[in-house]
Amino acid sequence: MQVFSIPKSIKENSRFTFCPGCDHGVAIRLVAETLDKLNLRENTIAVASSGCSVFLYNFLDVDCVESPHGRACAVATGIKRVNKAVGKDKFVFTYQGDGDFASIGLGESLHSALRGENITAICINNTNYGMTGGQMGPTSTMGQVTTTSPMGRNREYHGFPIKTAEHIALCDGTVFSARVALYDYKNIINAKNVIEKAFMAQSKNKGFSFVEILSSCPTNWKLTPKQAHDKIENELIKTYPLGIFKDTTNE
Amino acid sequence: MNKNFIISGSGGQGVISIGGILANIFMLNDFFVSFCSCYGAEMRGGAVNCEINMSDEELFCIENEEVDYVVALNQTSFDKFISRVRENGTIIVNSSLAKINKTRDNIKYIFAPLTDIAVKLGNIKMTNSVALGVLAGLLGNFNVEKVKMAYENVLKNKKELVKKNIDAYLLGYNYIQEG
Amino acid sequence: MSKELIKGNIAIAKAALKAGLKAYFGYPITPQTDIGEYLSYEMPKRNLAYVCAESEIGAINMALGAATSGEKVMVSSSSCAVSLMQEALSYACSDELPLVLVNVMRAGPGQGYIYPSQGDYNQAVTGGGNGDYQVVVLSPSTLPEACDLTQRAFYISQKYKIPTMLLVDGLLGQMAEPVEISESKYPEIDNSSWILDGAKGRASREIHSLEPSQYKLNQHIVSLFKKYKEIEQNECDWEEYMMDDAEILVTSFGTMARYAKSVVKDLRQNGIKIGLFRPKTLFPFPSKRLGELSLKVKHIIDIEMNMGQMLKDVRLSVLNNAVVSFIGKPVGDWLKREEMKSAINNIIKESYASI
Repeated sequence: MQVFSIPKSIKENSRFTFCPGCDHGVAIRLVAETLDKLNLRENTIAVASSGCSVFLYNFLDVDCVESPHGRACAVATGIKRVNKAVGKDKFVFTYQGDGDFASIGLGESLHSALRGENITAICINNTNYGMTGGQMGPTSTMGQVTTTSPMGRNREYHGFPIKTAEHIALCDGTVFSARVALYDYKNIINAKNVIEKAFMAQSKNKGFSFVEILSSCPTNWKLTPKQAHDKIENELIKTYPLGIFKDTTNE
Repeated sequence: MNKNFIISGSGGQGVISIGGILANIFMLNDFFVSFCSCYGAEMRGGAVNCEINMSDEELFCIENEEVDYVVALNQTSFDKFISRVRENGTIIVNSSLAKINKTRDNIKYIFAPLTDIAVKLGNIKMTNSVALGVLAGLLGNFNVEKVKMAYENVLKNKKELVKKNIDAYLLGYNYIQEG
Repeated sequence: MSKELIKGNIAIAKAALKAGLKAYFGYPITPQTDIGEYLSYEMPKRNLAYVCAESEIGAINMALGAATSGEKVMVSSSSCAVSLMQEALSYACSDELPLVLVNVMRAGPGQGYIYPSQGDYNQAVTGGGNGDYQVVVLSPSTLPEACDLTQRAFYISQKYKIPTMLLVDGLLGQMAEPVEISESKYPEIDNSSWILDGAKGRASREIHSLEPSQYKLNQHIVSLFKKYKEIEQNECDWEEYMMDDAEILVTSFGTMARYAKSVVKDLRQNGIKIGLFRPKTLFPFPSKRLGELSLKVKHIIDIEMNMGQMLKDVRLSVLNNAVVSFIGKPVGDWLKREEMKSAINNIIKESYASI
């Protein structure tokens, strides 16, 4: 039997304030556990973004700066570079939603990957703009009903969703790119291992590392938490297959 | 004392270089000086000109409607800037590339075959330094060491180039001194 | 130290390096590109941070991130591209992050062109982005002053934890004058109490503008404005020229003020009692001093290369103490001395005729 305690990298007495069944809490906990495991907490600067992911700094007990919407990778670039210039090797990661990373911030994200910035980006993909009430995002799937695609996402009006992890894997500066899910225990364990790999890539100064986390949004999907996880398992992974798309950490 | 200058030609003639050198000469002689350059969108071959102001007092105005000296290295520059010469001012015209033609009687014209002199020296690229020498000859004698330092400031210690350019400068200087 | 004849843009870059610049982020746009070009060589040589960013949005956000280190961080751009940076500037103001933004102005609106214009005064001094905030705006008139104000910009931005803009006319960026690039004369600021460098042996720190509590958000903005008041009290800077017995006062900033100064000098020789007031800090605007001066003069003539942007600050400073007139044009060749002289003479004639 394993007894779980609150990770050191989670603030004392903090309670997740996300909607019931939302995977953000699990994702943040996995990040915190990994920071603990790799002993990174005291050397970390996290970059939060806009949307539900902005609350990162309410839970994580690390130095954290919020970035304007979509600009987290640019902000992280500045932090990593200036610290390097003054001889400090800081661990820098972003925690962003899919709208933040792959829509409004695609330019900053993609160019950070192309430059091979030695940072890690965690992208929570819940296929909609959660905080504003469930609008169609860059990752909303074909046919997905949202408040701005009431007849379902279609090619004529909305075009196609972006497969972020696959795109980032194509960048020469990317050392690690993967997609994970959190709908069951097995996947959660796997996700934690993948986050660790991504963090290790940065610790080894290898370049840009990226983890896309398929996450549930029961509130906006108008499903129960269980139904939401079933949807990820049965439907979403058809559009967004899980796996590691690039890993050159050991090359 | 306050004097201002326009140097003009086409891209590649070294207009900005001698403008910078002239400004450096004034700086090294402890004058206040300003140097503005202006060129067209073309990276090569377009019209280029620069304006230099020098004074023994702090310079407020750095662009002037009329100037004391214009150096025109080609026909286009001659045509364009003849109207900008102040009354009793001077225009130095490269007669190798511009027709001798006096349309104003209240200014002084110096027609000098600057390009021909440079070619005779063996390098057409030194036309600009010949022009600077002519201008220096009109202004009076600058300390040659300071002229050399000015060249070094602009040409960044490319020793061989500095020497060749000083030779061209002196040819221009002597051309005007010897009348 | 010896004088060197260098372009304004290079002088600013060199002054920044001398002040201890640790990170520069930029994107090409005329007429400021020389700054990035120069630093693209000098920064890597010193193992300092330099990114030729994917956009101005990228550049200013990299600066925002880098500013959390408390190191000296600079971004440069021009007018229409500075518009792209307004979002991050608004964040940086709320986050209270120190960074220096050099805006070498070109003409607008929109893409405009690279002609001279001082059309960004409003954007610079009234914020430009969303929300209730200010950035400090410094306006040099000569290259030695541009060097000094570059170094002062780092000092002010760090001392008060506020983005500071050096608002430079395109001409000043492109022209050359002899300058002596010296070490910064301003003291170094201890940033250790707030920087993000990893929560080692201390509580973790958060830097954010998001504030769901309206009480706290109110408090935060009120405290920002207390800070702006303090900056106004301590950092206001201006130049007065031939003001002792002046009856007519010319107000002008940046390069335009240089030309206006030469006109004032000429008119003095014609026996006109005229002087010049030039703000070096556009925000905070030296209102108090201009208000005092306005009680001593009959007429104030504001001269700008725009349609009258600083004019509003002049009027707010002068109130009804003196008549305020305006001479300006939005873009193109700088107002010629003769144009200014005849405009000033006309204003004088008209105002005396009306008395």
